[in-house]
Amino acid sequence: MTEDERIAALFAAPERVPDEAFVARIGRAVLAEQRMAGARRALWRRFAIESVASGAIMAAFYLLWRMSPELTLEQMPIAPTAAAVLVLFLWLGVELRPAAIGK
Amino acid sequence: MDQDTELARRAAAGDAAAFTSLVRAHEGAVRRFLARLARGEGADDLAQEVFLKAWRRAGDWRGEGSYRGWLLRIAWTTFIGAHRAKGRQQAREQAAFEQQSDVRRDADCAIDLSRALAGLGTRERAAALLCFGEGCSHGEAARIMELPLGTLKSIVARARAALVERLETIHD
Repeated sequence: MTEDERIAALFAAPERVPDEAFVARIGRAVLAEQRMAGARRALWRRFAIESVASGAIMAAFYLLWRMSPELTLEQMPIAPTAAAVLVLFLWLGVELRPAAIGK
Repeated sequence: MDQDTELARRAAAGDAAAFTSLVRAHEGAVRRFLARLARGEGADDLAQEVFLKAWRRAGDWRGEGSYRGWLLRIAWTTFIGAHRAKGRQQAREQAAFEQQSDVRRDADCAIDLSRALAGLGTRERAAALLCFGEGCSHGEAARIMELPLGTLKSIVARARAALVERLETIHD
């Protein structure tokens, strides 16, 4: 037996059928990875929507204050009501969007 | 377009079933390479990490070289990362392994391989496993290990000489 044949024999591995248990283990890990990626995407989408909603609320308060700078918030009864209605609509928009109710 | 290329293209598009077929086709080679390289220590966990990286980077494979070669390249870089992180722990394991190897003098061919490889450095071991064990060409092994071809060839020659010497010692 030559040296090359001895080395080849040393490294020879018997043919075997695929290890289905290992394949299933990787399949489960890939599935978990897919779910996690989906949850991450949903989280970022929600964060973006809620950031926009918060920005809109702040902009609304700013505009209401600019409408009548000589009045304080207590002297202008429309302002708190309008702000509350705006907040309510934004909240409903975020919570009842199709992704949030599972459609 | 060969079967691996088609499956890899589908996996890159998010087809988990196509990726499972690739895992089924190549898990043997990847696990054997890692088991021999890492001497069985956590080889299956490393193999799982390799396949998850391959899934995450499925779009990176451009069809240059074989898909198995691409997986073995990920396996090599994953092993090197884990190996560096382990540091001294690995050295302790190697000492324990060599001590254990000395006890098993009547071992079969598989144990002979472990003993023969135990005397080699990490790069020599990997190069020998790729060229002698996985049937990679020098060019493919050089790509997998990210080494210049000339460097790889001298590493393989060194590994071969060391293996022959170790085999003679083991069989004497």
